[in-house]
Amino acid sequence: MSTPQAALPGGWARFNPASQARAWFRRWWQGRLPLSDLMTLSQRNVYILPTRPGWMLAATLLVLLLASINYQLNLGYLLTFLLAGCALAGMHVGHATLSGLSMRLQPPAPTFCGQVQTLEVVLDNPRKTPRHGIGLAVLDSADWVWTDVPAQGQSVLHLAFCPRQRGLHRVPVLSAETRFPLGTFRVWTIWRPAAQVLVYPQPEAAAPPLPPGQARDQAPAMAAGLTRGQEYDGVRAYRRGDPMRQVVWKKAATALATGSSALVSRDSAPAPLHELWLDHTSLSALPPEARWSRLCAWVLAADTMGLHFGLRLPQREIPPGTGPAHRQQCLEALALC
Amino acid sequence: MLNRLLPLSHLPRDSRDTLFLLAVVAWVVLPHAANLPAWTLLMACLALGWRGWLAWHARPLPARWWLMVLLLLAMAGTFWSHKTLLGRDAGVTLVVALLALKTLEMRARRDAFVVFFLGFFTMLTHFFFSQSLLVALAMLLGLLGLLTALINANLPVGRPPLATSAGLALRMTAWGAPVMVALFVLFPRVAPLWGLPADAQGARSGLSSRMSVGDVTELALDDAIAFRVRFLNANGAAPEQRQLYFRGPVFSSFDGREWKPRQPEELMNQVLYRRPPASLKTQGTPVPYEMTLEPNNRPWLLTLDATVEAPRLSPQIAYATPELQWVMARPITELLRYQAVAYPDFSYGPTGSDPLLRQETELPAGYNPRTLQLASELRRDPKLAGADDAALVQQVLNRLATGGYSYTLEPGLYGRDTADEFWFDRKAGFCEHVASSFVVLMRALDIPARVVTGYQGGERNPLDGYWTLRQSDAHAWSEVWLNGRGWVRVDPTAAIAPGRVGSMQRLVAPRGLVASALVTMSPGLMQSLRGMWEATNNRWNQWVLNYTQGRQLNLLRQLGFEAPSWEDLVLLLGGLLAASALGASAWQLWDRRQHDPWLRLLHQAQTQARARGLETPGVATPRSLGRQALERWGPAGQPLHDWLMQLERLRYAPPGQIGPQNTSGALKTLARQLRTLRWPALDG
Repeated sequence: MSTPQAALPGGWARFNPASQARAWFRRWWQGRLPLSDLMTLSQRNVYILPTRPGWMLAATLLVLLLASINYQLNLGYLLTFLLAGCALAGMHVGHATLSGLSMRLQPPAPTFCGQVQTLEVVLDNPRKTPRHGIGLAVLDSADWVWTDVPAQGQSVLHLAFCPRQRGLHRVPVLSAETRFPLGTFRVWTIWRPAAQVLVYPQPEAAAPPLPPGQARDQAPAMAAGLTRGQEYDGVRAYRRGDPMRQVVWKKAATALATGSSALVSRDSAPAPLHELWLDHTSLSALPPEARWSRLCAWVLAADTMGLHFGLRLPQREIPPGTGPAHRQQCLEALALC
Repeated sequence: MLNRLLPLSHLPRDSRDTLFLLAVVAWVVLPHAANLPAWTLLMACLALGWRGWLAWHARPLPARWWLMVLLLLAMAGTFWSHKTLLGRDAGVTLVVALLALKTLEMRARRDAFVVFFLGFFTMLTHFFFSQSLLVALAMLLGLLGLLTALINANLPVGRPPLATSAGLALRMTAWGAPVMVALFVLFPRVAPLWGLPADAQGARSGLSSRMSVGDVTELALDDAIAFRVRFLNANGAAPEQRQLYFRGPVFSSFDGREWKPRQPEELMNQVLYRRPPASLKTQGTPVPYEMTLEPNNRPWLLTLDATVEAPRLSPQIAYATPELQWVMARPITELLRYQAVAYPDFSYGPTGSDPLLRQETELPAGYNPRTLQLASELRRDPKLAGADDAALVQQVLNRLATGGYSYTLEPGLYGRDTADEFWFDRKAGFCEHVASSFVVLMRALDIPARVVTGYQGGERNPLDGYWTLRQSDAHAWSEVWLNGRGWVRVDPTAAIAPGRVGSMQRLVAPRGLVASALVTMSPGLMQSLRGMWEATNNRWNQWVLNYTQGRQLNLLRQLGFEAPSWEDLVLLLGGLLAASALGASAWQLWDRRQHDPWLRLLHQAQTQARARGLETPGVATPRSLGRQALERWGPAGQPLHDWLMQLERLRYAPPGQIGPQNTSGALKTLARQLRTLRWPALDG
């Protein structure tokens, strides 16, 4: 068959040996493909087969030939053979449309589970003529995105896909195809990008409000520091994620003047009376995925409010903090736990 | 709608594409105007117009039941016009109707493809009716249009100009042309695979198998070409034009109205010979010639009088009748070319009296009493007492030349006694009247005589040396039997109008308005234009339409095959295919080398470094690759690093340091260095 498209839906597929064999063949075939974020198409990885209109054209050519033979029409022979020659030329034009093209996947940004993620693919055409009608899609999805690539130019495509599971995943297998110029041949390639995309848990839609904070009883020294109000009790090197107001700008200026480029932060931020712990043990009544969903929603809520919060996960504990870096750290931990 | 106010170039893409496709479909359908029932054309025009209107106003397509009704109407109309739904003519009518109706249903891609493929088929149907150069050119244009629309339909993005698609269609046709030529030349020509329907060979004008007075006159107005002759003499010279008699059917049996051949028309019952009658005697110089006969749908060949050996045809065989006519076993339905040798100076038939000759003096009773009267008067004429038959013939010819007889294209309708009317009342006629009346008079004189039809004269095209004979050159003359000499050609028309025989002058039918204006402006222009057109047409006939199995095998013979067969053709075709595949791969290899050699070199280095354990993802620049090599291997990576920096300098050094003229030389040096580079030892 011409297309390694999705197997039959439903339970029927499980008992259909043909579709099982096909699925097995596909897995085996795709497993052989190299993983790469940059794919340059050549004869090795571009496939071509006639489409249904292609078979229709073949049937038309046969009928034309039979008519020419039976009515002894030399001009009919000419027409038939010219059409056949055009179809042949079309096959080459179609193959050359993909062959030689470079496809580059831009590193994908992390995303939330269940949210539509866009993949940015740059098509690069080194040829001196444009390439027409190139479509790109996540393999087995019907959402084709079509583009023309200008001569010796680039064109950027955005593909949408919706991750179904949190964690660190490979970008789905992509497929590029063209039916240019006559629609009689389908020229396609299958591309396994090496890039991985981090998928955070899906934030719970209507999550309950944040849990109450706990008294900061285990760090009396800190409490002492608190009494000094806005006084700072020491400095340390800037760490990514420190809020701007924690930077000691005077120190930083002198440090810059002496040639070192380091910023300086206050060692201890003015800590609140209570610290907020988002703890997975408090949610043990929920099934695991729902737990991560709620934690995710809380992390986002706490971050939006600018709260100082920590995250406790089975294997990991993230000390209280704030800011985008902290948020990202928490989300990553949630994605991978 | 805003679109209504805007010109065509601002139509939405869908409407523009549809209108273009409709125009192409109309172009493909319209040349059928002469071949189709009027209702089909009207229906096609209405359907296309309706679809165009819908596209222009971006309206929805009609419901499916509308199409069903129209389809049923088309089928009923076809049955009404042709009394069948099968066969060639009914098929063509149906295909055209389907094509027009299908445009009203172009919803999905699949429907559009059906329109394209029906369009290709409709183009072929034109060739049932005509394979002329003009039709071929029109259909080539149609093919380009269909391909343009098809390519355009496969451009999913934006609103590409049609010129882009047209350009690609032109290029693809050019690339397909060699395939076409190779297949056309080498594809084995086989006989029709199954019997043709009865209407496969439509009525084609030409000489008829019987002659009633008035037939040839119709031909006189027909400017269509009957055949072309080329003389193959060493000097290419033709015999005198007045000797150019091309023999067709010979008529000996007369029922008062109609002349018929002596033998039954069906070839099965005829006496046929592989050689001409043994009594044929020839003198003078032979005239070899080549004939290109347009299909006449009759079994007879036309041959220059007198052709002494069977015309060379392969694979068919020509047979001779006792009347020196050459025929074939089946009707000639395609252009036919053959060579033969003729002796214009000849005689044949029994030299002494023969009982069979009695048949050649039979006349129907009760017809032409005044002609019989004239014959007996001539016999009794004291001046002619004792004169032989030859003198009597001469006497009758004198009567024609001096008796006030004239030659005309418009003789009017003849009544019952055609010979009487010609000899006494009208004294004017076309060649068939003259020949028929002459033969009747001869028979009344008891001289064996018969009517021969064929073509006479012709026109030489100075461009290619071919003589063209048209239906208007059809002629009828007579043969009389003279004791001691056999059958002798006598052309009574020549006695009346010497101009009819042997010169370029002939009676010309009234011309159309444009043609007559052209002639008035420049009498020579018309002739030379026609000459040019016909020379081109002739070449088309010779090279394309007449490319038969015989010529195909001849070609193989010229290529050195001893006994060519169709297997050899297939072999040759396969060889050509293999050769072109090889050529394509060679080109691909060459093409790959055309890619940036600098990048290739960098890629080579990276691949080799990878093979030695350097992990370099993606594409690296020379500098980053060199740094990675140093990090990985330390000083052992230094040679690679240095080489890479050289490579970098080659491309990115400021101009002047490395001139472009020695870039390729430097690249060669670098490639050599890469081969002998000291790599760090393999790990482990």
